[in-house]
Amino acid sequence: MDTQERIVQFFVQKNKYDENLKYDTDLLKSGYVNSLFALEIVMYLEKEFKIKIKRRDITNENFSTINNMSALVERLIK
Amino acid sequence: MENIEIKRAVSKRIKCVIWDLDDTLWDGTLTEGGGERLRDGVYETLKLLDSRGILLSIASKNDYYAAMRALKKIDPELPKLFLCPQISWRAKSVSVAKIAESLNLKMCNMAFIDDSELQRDEVNFAHPDITVYDASFASKLADLPEMQVKFITEDSANRRNMYISDMKRDSAKNEFAGSDEAFMKTLGMKLQITAVDESSLRRAEELTVRTHQLNSTGYTYSYEELTSFINSPSHVFLIAGLTDKYGDSGKVGLLLMEDIGDAYLLKLLIVSCRVMTRGVGGTLLNHAIKLAAAAGKSLRAEYLETEYNRIMYVTYKLAGFEEIHESDDGANVVLEYTKTDIPEYPPYIEVEA
Repeated sequence: MDTQERIVQFFVQKNKYDENLKYDTDLLKSGYVNSLFALEIVMYLEKEFKIKIKRRDITNENFSTINNMSALVERLIK
Repeated sequence: MENIEIKRAVSKRIKCVIWDLDDTLWDGTLTEGGGERLRDGVYETLKLLDSRGILLSIASKNDYYAAMRALKKIDPELPKLFLCPQISWRAKSVSVAKIAESLNLKMCNMAFIDDSELQRDEVNFAHPDITVYDASFASKLADLPEMQVKFITEDSANRRNMYISDMKRDSAKNEFAGSDEAFMKTLGMKLQITAVDESSLRRAEELTVRTHQLNSTGYTYSYEELTSFINSPSHVFLIAGLTDKYGDSGKVGLLLMEDIGDAYLLKLLIVSCRVMTRGVGGTLLNHAIKLAAAAGKSLRAEYLETEYNRIMYVTYKLAGFEEIHESDDGANVVLEYTKTDIPEYPPYIEVEA
């Protein structure tokens, strides 16, 4: 599974998935992500990919789409 | 018999006491003909803890229906005192975990009382942060320092009922097929934002002391300081009450801003963890943005990172705040609202301010 798919798995797990959710859907504007779920995503990414997401990486841009989250994860893994 | 507590930290605040039944809550063992009367002093203890807003629950190895019948026979009102009682044959550590999850409480705020050392050890081994007591403490629990509350507020006396309506809401949510937002629209939520006054000051203080996750700074102020903010021309001090079709959740949000000339500085943004999933934090923040805009000021917010409150940082960032200052150790941050548009309140919540 690639990074995007693993992130989507979390949306499925948390019952936040539907067929309109694409890798480039704006999650903030479309209401998929509120602050509670955003925090759950942060914690999931840290655990799943064994990374530490610092404050400066918690930006709307990094969490606005699944593609952007995936890019953040890949940057932090390196 | 050894009359010792296994573990006790005075600084802890107990928000929920979980009771064993046989030879702890009542005399004797139910399966051997016991369970006909409460042990001495237990009824008084239960009533006192309940009036202080400390929640009560049960973890007992018994038949559920037989045990509930026995409770009801002792006093028809008794079963109502206990939230999500766990009466089954499984390990008590599992029952305790289930209660903590249902009530959304941390183990360090929970206590467990049982006459069996084996059961206490089993629970304490699985949950090192819980406080455990031998049954000999049953009549004395209300006297312990960790069971004291400074004031009994309207909210603390109603806490059990609020949890009951919370659980009804939660089970409706679990059965709801649509999105969280669609569910919230069905609740008919009303958030009433008012200036803190004498009557709500104690609850305001209680929120600053009890709330750890949804607390932007964790600042605590003395009662005198809080009183001074009420009349201070350079402070905006607001408290928010939430109701919906399931009932009154009480005063659940607190906002303190200081007027520093060109800006309002948010010193406190606190939301009770009980209403964590209902959009109150974002709504209060919207309100602060509106107030600042109306006063022609920019809006800044202090954020003091703690072990638990990362969600508040995320809340600020998602609302459009950016860091403008960071302390040398990085734990203390000032953020500023950088957008020019004034956000609308969420569609699922009616704000009265």
